[in-house]
Amino acid sequence: MLDQAIARKLKSIVGEENLLLEKEDLLTYSYDATNIWIHMPDAVVLPRTTSQVSSVMKLANEYKIPVTPRGGGTNVSGGSIPIKGGIVLCTTRMNRILSINKATLVAEVETGVVMQEFNQILAQEGLFYPPDPQSAAGCTVGGTVAENASGPYGLKYGVTKQYLLGLEVVLANGDVARLGGITIKNRMGYELTTLFAGSEGTLGIITRITVKLLPLPRAQRTMLAVFDSTETAGEAVSRIIGRGILPAKIEFVDNWFLRRMEEITHLGLPVEAEALLLIQSDGDIESADREIQQIITICRDIGAREARAAADEIEANKLWQGRRSAFSAVYSSAPSVLSEDITVPRDKLPDLIKRCNEIGKKHGFPIHMVGHAGDGNLHPAVLTDIRDKENFSRASRVIEEMIEAALELGGVLSGEHGIGLEKQRFMARAMDPVALRIMKEIKHLLDPNGILNPGKYWEDRGVDHHRGEEIQGNRTFSQGS
Amino acid sequence: MKCGFCISACPVYREELVESAVARGKNQLVRGLLSGELDLTRELEERLDKCTLCKTCTQNCPAGVQIPSVIIAARADKVRHRGIRFPYNVVYRSILPRRILFGRVVRAAGLAQKLFFPKGEGTLRHLPLILSGLGKGRRIPEVASHFLRESVKEVNSPPAGTPVKLRAGYMTGCMTDYVFPDLGIKLIQFLTRNGVEVVVPRKQGCCGAPVYMGAGDFETGRKMADANVAAFGDLDFVIVDCATCGSAMQDYARYLADNEQREKLYSEFGKKVIHITAFLVDILHLPSEAYQAAPDVRGKRVTWHDPCHLNRHMGVQEQPRQILKSISGIKFVEMSEPDRCCGMAGAFSLHFYELSRKIVDRKIASIVASGADIVASGCPGCEIQLMDAISRHKLPVKVMHIMELLQ
Repeated sequence: MLDQAIARKLKSIVGEENLLLEKEDLLTYSYDATNIWIHMPDAVVLPRTTSQVSSVMKLANEYKIPVTPRGGGTNVSGGSIPIKGGIVLCTTRMNRILSINKATLVAEVETGVVMQEFNQILAQEGLFYPPDPQSAAGCTVGGTVAENASGPYGLKYGVTKQYLLGLEVVLANGDVARLGGITIKNRMGYELTTLFAGSEGTLGIITRITVKLLPLPRAQRTMLAVFDSTETAGEAVSRIIGRGILPAKIEFVDNWFLRRMEEITHLGLPVEAEALLLIQSDGDIESADREIQQIITICRDIGAREARAAADEIEANKLWQGRRSAFSAVYSSAPSVLSEDITVPRDKLPDLIKRCNEIGKKHGFPIHMVGHAGDGNLHPAVLTDIRDKENFSRASRVIEEMIEAALELGGVLSGEHGIGLEKQRFMARAMDPVALRIMKEIKHLLDPNGILNPGKYWEDRGVDHHRGEEIQGNRTFSQGS
Repeated sequence: MKCGFCISACPVYREELVESAVARGKNQLVRGLLSGELDLTRELEERLDKCTLCKTCTQNCPAGVQIPSVIIAARADKVRHRGIRFPYNVVYRSILPRRILFGRVVRAAGLAQKLFFPKGEGTLRHLPLILSGLGKGRRIPEVASHFLRESVKEVNSPPAGTPVKLRAGYMTGCMTDYVFPDLGIKLIQFLTRNGVEVVVPRKQGCCGAPVYMGAGDFETGRKMADANVAAFGDLDFVIVDCATCGSAMQDYARYLADNEQREKLYSEFGKKVIHITAFLVDILHLPSEAYQAAPDVRGKRVTWHDPCHLNRHMGVQEQPRQILKSISGIKFVEMSEPDRCCGMAGAFSLHFYELSRKIVDRKIASIVASGADIVASGCPGCEIQLMDAISRHKLPVKVMHIMELLQ
């Protein structure tokens, strides 16, 4: 419960209509897109201006109230769950597009603009903003910066941090900082802008964002390749990249995912495939067609059962729509889903797939895989039930071993989903201790009272609640879908 | 499922920008209710009521989660536990199910409208809404001086010399019956001229949409469904000009069937229900020459608003467009987001008038940007909403039912 006096102060800052205190509202800010954690906040504020954000932070800092920033709440790491209660600062009402400059290919937006709506408006100008988390229909631009998000387009176009030119952020003490600028090149001082990319709300509240844009490609071509084994599909990816071909997207889907996607979408996906690669080329018509032909040849040479261009735009759209349903496909399949985000150097993808399959076999757990294969970014998923202790602890072991395998292959814990609650127990193992120490010092410098998104990022046993039975205090974990 | 892909689809979320507005949030609230974590409070009720049942979330849900069904079920549960609030309970339970009494109430409202409210522009007036007396200054068309069923026969045969191709029932719907009787007359004339014998069963009543979908009163809804199923008897088609009536009747089996017999009866009845535009295109297969523009719309630019109940609930998108493209003498232009909800949603627009206005204002912006002189639709409910908004903005755009465009 929030102190009455604090509630009154919050109300005077944001106004009654932008402060939620009823249980019926608080519950709807107790979750994100995962199905492992849930925790109720004590209040939700929906500020409309930077100065309101600043005032909220000053108040929270003075009374040491936890503040968990949240955009669309579509993240898959537990990152926006108010695990320590306190205030959820939801940015969805700061949703104006401030400028789109076609001459400089630069746009400035408020933090709560929904990603898909941003790209729809840019498309009218013949422009696009490439970072494409699959949650674009719900996530906010601010959220994608905080998570340094990416998606299939990462292969050719990179991730969010590569598009960031400037930020306005509100620090824990309420100070408003303007970082970076509006130029493509900017060599003044440290790269503070990118420091906030992937900061997951632990360093400050992002309120305004300046990004660079690209012109929409004139042509897009989609193809699919069907393989008899996941490992061969992985080898095909390495060979495509190895030949110096860099398509816009190379997505990997295994048979289980294909079947589940088909079950929920009825799109007519090739469910007989053991593994499917879904590839898109961007460019002008000739170059996109040529690139697709080259890839088809490579896939056939390596032993694809079928490799062909999509018949038309309708089929292409269906395939990509199917791909977007992967998340729903897996999260609606079991009471608890552990979906990983391990990423290895691109040429190690076949090894990673092989290791994951072996680990699954060893523990008697089928591993379901989908991923941004061209980036070496795999999302292996394990279906379990957190209420079944034995099963859940076995599933957790599978996850640990897969992460171990990725690290051994020179990879990382998370390619794009972030740390949040999901990966914090692996941070110490995965990161260089000096790097970790610097991070903690930065955190302490910017948020000495530890009020910003507390309980996330690094594991802090004793104070922390995390996965499983330890979080039963306020509201326990969710029971699946 | 908590992916949140429904967020940018939801017309209510787009205005409110809070999680309880969107399908994911509502789903979690219902789960909270089922798990006992939440009680059935007024606050919860209000959040569940804040849904136009437009079904855009379902359309955008990778897992096809039927949130509107969850909401309707939750509303029904609410009714079982504590009933509906006054004065809605009187309207839903006592007045709507009884056609003759309803007619008298409507007439009385019409008189009140003439007596107490100044004449607005055109035929629109300020009027406390017929059903509830809570219109909040809404400008809606006045109640007709003659109701449709007082003006037409029960059996309407094609003119002499035109062979009878088909026999079909016509569900007039309350709006057409009481407010837009000319639309009904036009529809009957168009059909009979094209060889359809149109039966307007006298015993038909309200479709039940406001009662069971809006208010969650399944018990009363079932009585209304039984009455309508009996009224249309063995007629092969039940034509509607109102998409809401159409979808409510198609969904009798889904929501109201409480035994096998009703399940069978309602499903068979649901299959007969067809929107007029689908009937013309898919059943009659009228040639494009059959569609001639009425004199007052010739030379006009016409755009189409997809009613949610027609587009997403009844699955009719292409047929009205095909008709509009066929009508010689008008120019059809597509607006942006033609399928976005107009925010009417029956009682929703009464409970949440301000919100409903914000939703329709986006629609109005699309209509204006299309440059159309006329916005056509296939649902009198949407039409009232659009008329109210257009009148509020003093725009020179006319709202018409697609059948009113035809000669």
